[in-house]
Amino acid sequence: MAKTIMIVDDSATLRQVVGIALKGAGYEVVEACDGKDALGKLDGRKIHLIVCDVNMPNMDGITFVKEMKAMAGYKFTPVIMLTTEAGEAKKQEGQMAGARAWVVKPFQPPQMLNAVSKLILP
Amino acid sequence: MSTMSEALQTFLAESRGLLEAMEEGLLKLEEIPDDSEAINSVFRAAHTIKGSAGLFGFDEIVAFTHEAESVLDKVRDGELALSEAMIGLFLSCRDHLSHLLDLLASDSDADDETRQRGDALVAQLSACLGGAGSRSMPVEQEAVFHREGGDGAQGDAWHVSVRFGRDVMKNGLDPASFIRYLGTLGQLSHVETVFDAMPPAHEMDPEECYLGFEIRFHGEVDKTEIESVFEFVREDCELRILPPGSKLSEYLQLIHELPEEDLLLGDLLVRSGAITRRELEEGLAVQGQESTSDEAAPPLGEILVERQAVQTELVDAALAKQKDVRQRQSQEARFIRVHADKLDSMINLVGELVIASAGVGLIAGRNKDAAMMEAVSEMARLVEDIRDGAMRLRMVEIGETFNRFRRVVRDVSKELGKDIELIISGADTELDKSVVERIGDPLTHLVRNAMDHGIESAETRIARGKPARGSLRLNAYHESGSVVIEVGDDGGGLSRERIVAKAQEKGLIEDAQGLSDAEVWNLIFEPGFSTSDAVSNLSGRGVGMDVVKRNIEALRGTVEIESRAGSGSTFRIRLPLTLAIIDGFLMAVGEGHYVVPLDMVLECVELGEGRSSDEPDYINLRGEVLPLLRLREHFGLEGPVVRRHNVVVVQWGGRKAGLVVDELEGELQAVIKPLGRIFAGLRGLSGSTILGSGEVALVLDVAQLLEHARLREAEAVSAVSVGRTSERTANAMTG
Repeated sequence: MAKTIMIVDDSATLRQVVGIALKGAGYEVVEACDGKDALGKLDGRKIHLIVCDVNMPNMDGITFVKEMKAMAGYKFTPVIMLTTEAGEAKKQEGQMAGARAWVVKPFQPPQMLNAVSKLILP
Repeated sequence: MSTMSEALQTFLAESRGLLEAMEEGLLKLEEIPDDSEAINSVFRAAHTIKGSAGLFGFDEIVAFTHEAESVLDKVRDGELALSEAMIGLFLSCRDHLSHLLDLLASDSDADDETRQRGDALVAQLSACLGGAGSRSMPVEQEAVFHREGGDGAQGDAWHVSVRFGRDVMKNGLDPASFIRYLGTLGQLSHVETVFDAMPPAHEMDPEECYLGFEIRFHGEVDKTEIESVFEFVREDCELRILPPGSKLSEYLQLIHELPEEDLLLGDLLVRSGAITRRELEEGLAVQGQESTSDEAAPPLGEILVERQAVQTELVDAALAKQKDVRQRQSQEARFIRVHADKLDSMINLVGELVIASAGVGLIAGRNKDAAMMEAVSEMARLVEDIRDGAMRLRMVEIGETFNRFRRVVRDVSKELGKDIELIISGADTELDKSVVERIGDPLTHLVRNAMDHGIESAETRIARGKPARGSLRLNAYHESGSVVIEVGDDGGGLSRERIVAKAQEKGLIEDAQGLSDAEVWNLIFEPGFSTSDAVSNLSGRGVGMDVVKRNIEALRGTVEIESRAGSGSTFRIRLPLTLAIIDGFLMAVGEGHYVVPLDMVLECVELGEGRSSDEPDYINLRGEVLPLLRLREHFGLEGPVVRRHNVVVVQWGGRKAGLVVDELEGELQAVIKPLGRIFAGLRGLSGSTILGSGEVALVLDVAQLLEHARLREAEAVSAVSVGRTSERTANAMTG
């Protein structure tokens, strides 16, 4: 059964492009437009990996990761955070929250697939 | 189904009984560790429960009990010693089983907590079997990295050693996923799980990771690529990547080829790819920590080797490289660049000083003032020192020139498809800068010629029983006031037949009879001579060997060939040490003064009285026959004839001759002034010098004079062979 990846980003374009790449590689994709939306979609369904932006309205990525890690079914779900080159401080904060995998924006879909396959396989 | 439920009740009752016996046995073992009966009863309990549970298909109980049974089996066989920690572990296992039975009785499924507890116990049990903690329960130990044969990496497999941190899983990272990903880059030939860090059950947190892996990996990747596999887990793991043994030589090569910059050790290793930037940073961090203590921090190389980031050989190679570069730079720092013109004008002035000093000496001698003579001779000595120092300023090592040929040899051997090695020796031999500048072209030609025509193809060489790899030697040394540069090869040597045939074809000679090998070899220096059947674009076209010879002669040098069929030939270029000032020996013939370089003078002897000019031109010098060259006749000089003559024995390039002169006038420093263009065609003279008295002395070109003597000798020998002058020659020998 295909593994499910959740993309959390406020940019519809990014969700779409990453979504196409991931689907092409054989993953199921769930999209969420911000942290709050994403938390709502963590309704007990199995999510194998979350790709999450840092800066988002309503709830930012770091807060989302903290909340998510506190949820029973998602404590061990790997997260890839999307960051900008200038986001060193945010990265520190994210590391504290338990997000270890980072992909620097802008990136090409193959880079994302590489990062994903380091964490889970299709 | 009633029978089954009855059987289940029986199983439960029986198992509870067995567990009680197990507990009893374990407690007894705590007091008497080697009570075999107690061990047996514990083992039997586990064995029976496992068997019974299998009947009902209680896989969970079977699997769990199986692990306990395996360990107990080893204990019973004496392979494992029963420690207190192990008794504790078995008691926990007993409790766990009891709990499983309770669950079974109440017909409820095991909850997560139970399962995790079970898994942890299984892990500990298998740790006992794993051998790492054979004597005692593995308590938290510092991770020990497995060393495989010396420095780790062997053969062509990478050795990746990784210890995951406790929090890996909490951070959403699955250790196995990285290993799987590594597998996509190449081939995992061996993966060993290391669980030394696994704590006892009651301390173990199932959410934490205690695992490590030793991985052997085959793949065409570099160290950084492997490291990037673990990019996301880098903060949470200890990673050692040892390159395959086959990579080692590659790294050594890379270190050697790094540019000549003064780099820190770490940078050298990073640039060659032997360690990654991150490994370097970690090593430096460790060094930083250690340096805070009183003792000096250990060197970075040691730390890196200790941390198994890099092999000792590579650190040594990098250190050697670093030393080499620094030495070179410190040498460079001791040099100053001076415009050659400044040097030349200084040398010119030193030359004038030498002449002036000679003039002062002459006047002092004439005045017979002892104090003055003393002062003058002291000054003359200092002038001599200054002259030597000034000349040394112009001297450079030939090594730089030789080193340029490394590239030439590499390129040309590729072009020719030959495997040729360049062997350089005597690179520290010094010679005049102006000579070095002008010797490059002739040398290049000789080197190319040796590679093209001298050294045979690999097939021919093997067929002749030689190593397939040809070798080309460049050598330099000092020999009696001259510098000798040799270009040698271990090829087939010169072919007399082919040279003779070619020379006849070109009309250079009529036949080769009576020609010595050396004379035949010298034919290749004749204009328009080429023995190559196929004209190659390397050495067959453009300048010929005649140009090489002319270039060398322009430097007042000579070139000779030594060749042995089958074992190669050597071209020997002989050059004067310097072109400007020499220690000379002054002689007088008639009214003129002549100078020969002192280094070439072997000795002076008196020629027997009454030997007139029509006497034969030989002298018997302690049994050695030397040709005599009468300068008076040679240069057609006039002037009063003296009764007694002197012979100055000179040597050049292994040949000797006696110069017959009127008077010996002693040593002097001669500042050589070139002869005007009008004298360019004059043979036997190479320059002039001004004496202290203001008179001009001519500097003899000993090489040309010797050549002249040799030619005359050859004529005489052929005359002897037809018997015309045999009697006269015999007389001369005895004279």
